[in-house]
Amino acid sequence: MTVMARRLSASGDVFQEDFARHLPEFPGAALDWLNARRRAAMDAFAVTGIPGRRSEAWKWTDLANVLDLGAFAPVVLQPSAPRDSIFPKQTNELTFSGGFLTQASVQSGIDVVDLAKLDAAVPGWVRDNLGTLAQGPDQPMGAASLALMRSGAAIRVRKDTSLQLVFSHAPSVRAHVSHSRILLIVESGVSLHLLENHRGTNAHGSLRNLGFELHLKPGSRLEHVRVQKDAADAMHLTSLGAVVQRDASYRALYTALGGQLARLDVNLRLDGAKAEAVIHHVAALAEGIADITSVIDHASPHTCSRQVFRNVVGGKGRAVNQGRVVVRHGAIKSDSHQLFKSLLLSPHAEADAKPELEIFADDVLCGHGTAIGALEADALFYLRSRGIPEPEAKLLLIRGFVAEAIGEFGDDAIRDALWRELETALAAVGAGQ
Amino acid sequence: MKLLEIDNLHVTVDGKEILKGITLVIPAGEVHAIMGPNGSGKSTLSYALAGREGYEVTGGRVIYRGEELTGLSPDRRAALGVFLALQYPVEIPGVTTITFLKTALNAQRRARGEPEMDAMQVLKRVREKARALQISEDMLKRPLNAGFSGGEKKRMEILQMALLEPKLAILDETDSGLDIDALKLVASGVNAQRATDRAMLVITHYQRLLDYIVPDRVHVLAQGRIVTSGGPDLARELEQRGYGAVVEAA
Repeated sequence: MTVMARRLSASGDVFQEDFARHLPEFPGAALDWLNARRRAAMDAFAVTGIPGRRSEAWKWTDLANVLDLGAFAPVVLQPSAPRDSIFPKQTNELTFSGGFLTQASVQSGIDVVDLAKLDAAVPGWVRDNLGTLAQGPDQPMGAASLALMRSGAAIRVRKDTSLQLVFSHAPSVRAHVSHSRILLIVESGVSLHLLENHRGTNAHGSLRNLGFELHLKPGSRLEHVRVQKDAADAMHLTSLGAVVQRDASYRALYTALGGQLARLDVNLRLDGAKAEAVIHHVAALAEGIADITSVIDHASPHTCSRQVFRNVVGGKGRAVNQGRVVVRHGAIKSDSHQLFKSLLLSPHAEADAKPELEIFADDVLCGHGTAIGALEADALFYLRSRGIPEPEAKLLLIRGFVAEAIGEFGDDAIRDALWRELETALAAVGAGQ
Repeated sequence: MKLLEIDNLHVTVDGKEILKGITLVIPAGEVHAIMGPNGSGKSTLSYALAGREGYEVTGGRVIYRGEELTGLSPDRRAALGVFLALQYPVEIPGVTTITFLKTALNAQRRARGEPEMDAMQVLKRVREKARALQISEDMLKRPLNAGFSGGEKKRMEILQMALLEPKLAILDETDSGLDIDALKLVASGVNAQRATDRAMLVITHYQRLLDYIVPDRVHVLAQGRIVTSGGPDLARELEQRGYGAVVEAA
C-alpha cells in the first residue's frame, strides 16, 4: 500500500474539488437542467459535508471518521466485472460494473437510459424526474451521488414484469469511489418484481455511493428484494428516495450481508390515500457496520407502513437501526408500526436502535418496539433436550429469528437462493462468535 | 430390569441445594408418579435428569440403562432415549413445527448411527402420530408452539414423545393448564406409549392426572427428599388429607 497522500477533513473537500474541476466532463454536462440539479445537490451536500458523529442521523455511523478520501482514486470505467448474482438469471436484467451499465437485456415495456451517456436526446421522463429524490440535505451522500454522478441507469416500467439489477465490482488494487444513480419509475397500475444485487471482492476500502430514486405511480406495486454483500473491505452507501402515490404498494426485503460499512438510507413518502410501504431488513455480520436508517413520511390520510428489522450480530459487528416515522397534519387514519430486533452472539457484538415517531395528526395508529439480546437459554435447552446438538440448535434459533423477516417475499426460486446465501452468512456469523 | 436408578442424588441450583438425597428405582415397563407441594424440587429433578445447564449434581448417581447420565449433554441424553415433556413448552418463532420435528428426529438418528429420514418419510410418520392427538396439518406448519393454546402445547409434547420413542419419558406437570377434555386426550396419548421396554416418570401436583395415567408407584417429594412411597392409593390419600398431613405422618 502507498502512504496516504493526505487525510481529508470531514467537510468533504475532495468531493467539492472533484465537482468544481470535473463538472464539464460529467455525463450530460451540456444539459442545463441537469447541471442546475447537480449544483443544488452539491450545495445540499455541503451543508454537512461527509456526515459523521455531529449529525444526529449519523451519530452511530461516523462516516467522516471512517472514509479516507485522500486515498481514493478518481472514478474510472472499470474493466467489466463478471456478472455475479445469487439469483437465477431473469428475462429482464441490467448488469453494472463499478456502477457503469455494461449490459441491458430487457423486453418491451421497460425503457432504459444509460446515465453515463446522457445527451440532448434524453427522454422527457428522465428529465422530469432524475435528481428529484435522494438529493436533499437530509440525505447528504445521496446528494453527493447526484452531484458527482458518472454512471447508473434510468428505468421506466410500463407493464407487469420482473427485473434484476446486478451490481458487480471488479477486484481493485486500490480504493475507488463510484457515484451512481438509479431512477426507477413504475407506471400507474403496473406491478414489478425487482431484484437488486450488490456483490464484490477485494475492494481496498472502495466506496460505492448509490443514489436510488423510486417513483411508484398510482395503483402500482413494487416488490423489491435486495441483497447487499459487498467485499469485507468495501464501503457501501445507498440513499433511497421514494414516493409512493395513492393505492400504490411498496414491499421490500433488504439484506445486508457484507462490507466494512454498509448503510441504507431510506427516505420514503406515502403520498396519496391507501399508499403502503412494508420494509423488512435482515443484517448478518461479524465485523463492520450494517446500518439501515429510514424516514417514512405519512403525507396523506389512510396510509400504512410496516417495518421489521432483524439483525444477527457476532464477532465485533455493529448493527444500526434508526427509524423515524412522521405523520403529517391531516394524515388521519395513518397506520404505522416498526419493530427492530437484534440478536447478539458475542460479548463484543453491538446493536444500536432508535425508533422515533413524530405525529402531527389525530386519529392515527402508530407503534414501535425494539429488542436486543442473546439467544434464549430456555429455547436452547428445549431444542437440545430433543437431541439437537448445541451448534445446530443455535443455528436453528438464529434461522428462526431471521425467518420472521423473510416471510413470503419472492417466489420459491428466489427464497431458496436467498436462504442459501443467508445460511452461509449466518453460519459464518455464528461460527465467529 | 432397572431402567433408571437414582442413588442419593444431590442437586444445587444457583448455589442453593434443592435436591437433598433422592433415591429412586424405576424398572422398565413401569410408570412412577412423583407428587409434591410447590417448591419441593419436582421440576429440579426433571431438569437434572434431562441435563439442563445450571442444575449441578453435587452428589449421588443417576444410572440409566447401566450408564451414568451425570455429565452428559442434554442432546446426548436425548439420543440415548431420555425425554422430558416440559411444564412450559417454549415458543420457537420462525421455526416451523415440522422442520423442528425433522431436525430432532434426524439429530437423534445421526447420533445413534442410524440413517437420516427424508422430509417425506418424516411427514408420513408425523401424520400417523398426529392424528390420534388431534394435531392438525396447520399446526405442523406453524412455528413451534408459537401462539398454541395450553392444550395444543401439551399435545405437541406428547407428539414429540411418540415420534422420538424414548426409553425414559419424564412428564413434568403435563396436566397443568389443561381442561378435562384436553387432559383425557393427553393421557390417552401417554397411555398408548406405555410399553414393556419403556419407563415413565410422571410429575404432578394433583391427583387428577393419575386417574387417567394410573401409576405403578407413587412417591411423595418434600423439601428435596422422597418422604414416602406407595401404590396408586397414596395419590388419593394425598388428595383427601393434603400434603401437610401425609408429609408429617411420614
